[in-house]
Amino acid sequence: MFNVKISLFSHTKELEQKIDMLHDKIIEVAMVFKKAVDVYLKEKRSTDYRKLSKEIKIIEHDADTLRRDIENRLYSQNLIPDFRGNILELVENLDKVINEFDEVAHKFYIEQPEIPEKYYERFKELVSQVCECAENLAMASRAFFYDLSAVRDYSKKVYFLEHESDKTTASLKEGVFASDMELAHKLQLNSFLTEVADIADLAENCIDQLLIYVIKRDI
Amino acid sequence: MDFGYLFFLSSGLFLGWSLGANDAANIFGTAVGTKMVRFNTAAVIASIFIILGAVFGGAGTTETLDTLGSVNTLPGAFMVALAAAVTVYWMSRTGISVSTSQAIVGSIIGWNCYCGESTDVAVFGKIFGTWVLCPLLAAATAVLLYFLLRRFIRYSHVHLLRQDSYVRAGLIITGAVCAYALGANNIANIMGVFVDSSPFSDFKIDNAVYLTHVQILFLLGGMAIATGIVTYSHNVINTVGNNMLKMTPLAALTVVMAQAVVLLLFSSQNLRNFLLSHSLPAFPLVPVSSTQAVIGAILGIGLLKGGRGVNWGIVGRIVVGWVVTPLIALIICFVSLFFLENVFNQAVYQPELEMF
Repeated sequence: MFNVKISLFSHTKELEQKIDMLHDKIIEVAMVFKKAVDVYLKEKRSTDYRKLSKEIKIIEHDADTLRRDIENRLYSQNLIPDFRGNILELVENLDKVINEFDEVAHKFYIEQPEIPEKYYERFKELVSQVCECAENLAMASRAFFYDLSAVRDYSKKVYFLEHESDKTTASLKEGVFASDMELAHKLQLNSFLTEVADIADLAENCIDQLLIYVIKRDI
Repeated sequence: MDFGYLFFLSSGLFLGWSLGANDAANIFGTAVGTKMVRFNTAAVIASIFIILGAVFGGAGTTETLDTLGSVNTLPGAFMVALAAAVTVYWMSRTGISVSTSQAIVGSIIGWNCYCGESTDVAVFGKIFGTWVLCPLLAAATAVLLYFLLRRFIRYSHVHLLRQDSYVRAGLIITGAVCAYALGANNIANIMGVFVDSSPFSDFKIDNAVYLTHVQILFLLGGMAIATGIVTYSHNVINTVGNNMLKMTPLAALTVVMAQAVVLLLFSSQNLRNFLLSHSLPAFPLVPVSSTQAVIGAILGIGLLKGGRGVNWGIVGRIVVGWVVTPLIALIICFVSLFFLENVFNQAVYQPELEMF
C-alpha cells in the first residue's frame, strides 16, 4: 500500500560534484577564450586558434550535459524542493554564459574580422574584463551553495567589471565609428564588440538573480 | 470479551481517529507542506511511533486526567469521549485546527457538572496553565532553535544539497520523536476515561512480551490514531503546512523540534524524575496540545522574521477555537449525559461509597 522511500544521503555527493564541475567549466571556458582571442589577434584563424575554438566547443558541450544531468537529478530525486526552481534557473543561466563564449569564439572562426592593430590593447582589455566577470560569477554561484556571505563580495566584483566592460566597449565603438573604415567593416566590428560585451551582461543578470536567491535563502 | 464494552469504547476510538486526523498534521504538516517528506513516509512513521509512545509511555498523563474527574462508569466514559470526539471532528471540518486535550478536559468538566462532582480547581488550574504556557514555551524554543540552527549553517559552510539531506533526516527523526511523545502525552485524552472500567487482563507471552491491561487499552487507542492519520490527515496537513505561514524546510524542522521538546517536557516521567533529582524545575505531567505547541512554534518563527508572512486571520480563528473548544465539549457532554441517563436509561455516574 505504501511506497515508503527515504532517499537521504544517496547521490547527494555526486550532484554536489556535478554542480562544482559546472562552475569549473565557466572558469575554464573564460581562460581558454582569453587565450583564443590573444592567438587570433596574433595569428588570425591559425591551427592554434582552431584548436582553442574546438576546446571551447567541447567545454560548452560538457556543460550542456552537466546542466541536463543536474536538472534531471534535482527533480527525479526530489532534492531541495523549495529552491529547486531557482537552482534550475541558475544552472540554465550559467550555461547561457558558456554558450555565449562559444558563440563569440565560433563567430571569430567563421567571420574572421579584421581588427586594426591600434585597437588591440583595448580589445584585449575588454576580453580580460569580460572573462574576469565570468570567473567571478562562477565564484559567486559556487559560494551560493557553500557560503552565502561570500556571494555579495563576488557580486560586487561582477558589477564593477561589467560597468568597466561597458565603458571599454563604448570607447572602442566610438573609435571604430570615428575611423575611416568601410561602413560594413564598422558594423561587423560593432557586432563583435556587442557580443563580447554581452557575456558580461549575461553574468550581471545572473548575479541579479543570485542575490535575490540569497535573500530568499536567508529568510 | 464483553461486546457491550467494545461498543462503549467505540467513542474513544472515534476520538482517537479524530486525533490522528487532526494531530498528525502537527507532527509532519510542515515537513509534508515544504515537500521535504512524502505523505506516505510521514504517515507510516507517525503511526508506528504514536502506537509505541501510547503503549510504552502513556501512563504519566493519565493520572492527571484521572484526578481532574474520575469517570467511573462505562456509559459515562463513552459519552465523555464521544462529546470530545464530536467537538474535534466538527471543529476540524470548519477548518480550525483544534486541541484534543482541550476537548477532553471540557468534556470531563461537563461530566463533573452533570454528576455534581466538584472539579479539582488545582488540577484544572494546572491544565489551564499549560494551555497558556505550552504555546509560549513552544514559541520561545522555536526561536532559540531557529537562531542556533541558522547560525550553525552560516558558519559550517555545508553544501546546500548536504544541508537539504540533513534537514530531511532531521525532520524524519524529530517527527518520529514527536510522534512518540504525542502518543505518550495524548493517549490519556483518548483512553484515559476508560482506564477505570477496563475489562482487559494483562497479556504475557513467556517472558518476552508483557503488556498490562492498560497498555492493551492504549494499544487499541494508538491503532485508532494511526487509522486517523492514514485515512484523513492529508487534508489537515495542508492547513498547518502552508496556510498559516510559508516556511522554509529549516523553519519546518525548527517547528517540529520545538514541538518535540515541549511534548517531552510535559509527558516524560523519566525526564521529570531527572530534572527533580537535579533540583531543577520540572513541568507537570499534563496532556498538552500538540496543536497549541505547533502553532506557538510557527508563530514564534513568524515573529522572528518580523511577523510579515503570518496570516493573522487564521491565527485569530485558531485562538478563538482554543477558547470555544472546551466550552462546546462541556455543553455537548452535559446535554448528552442527560439524554443518555434519562432516555437510554444508562448509569453515567456511580456515587462513591462514603466510609464511616
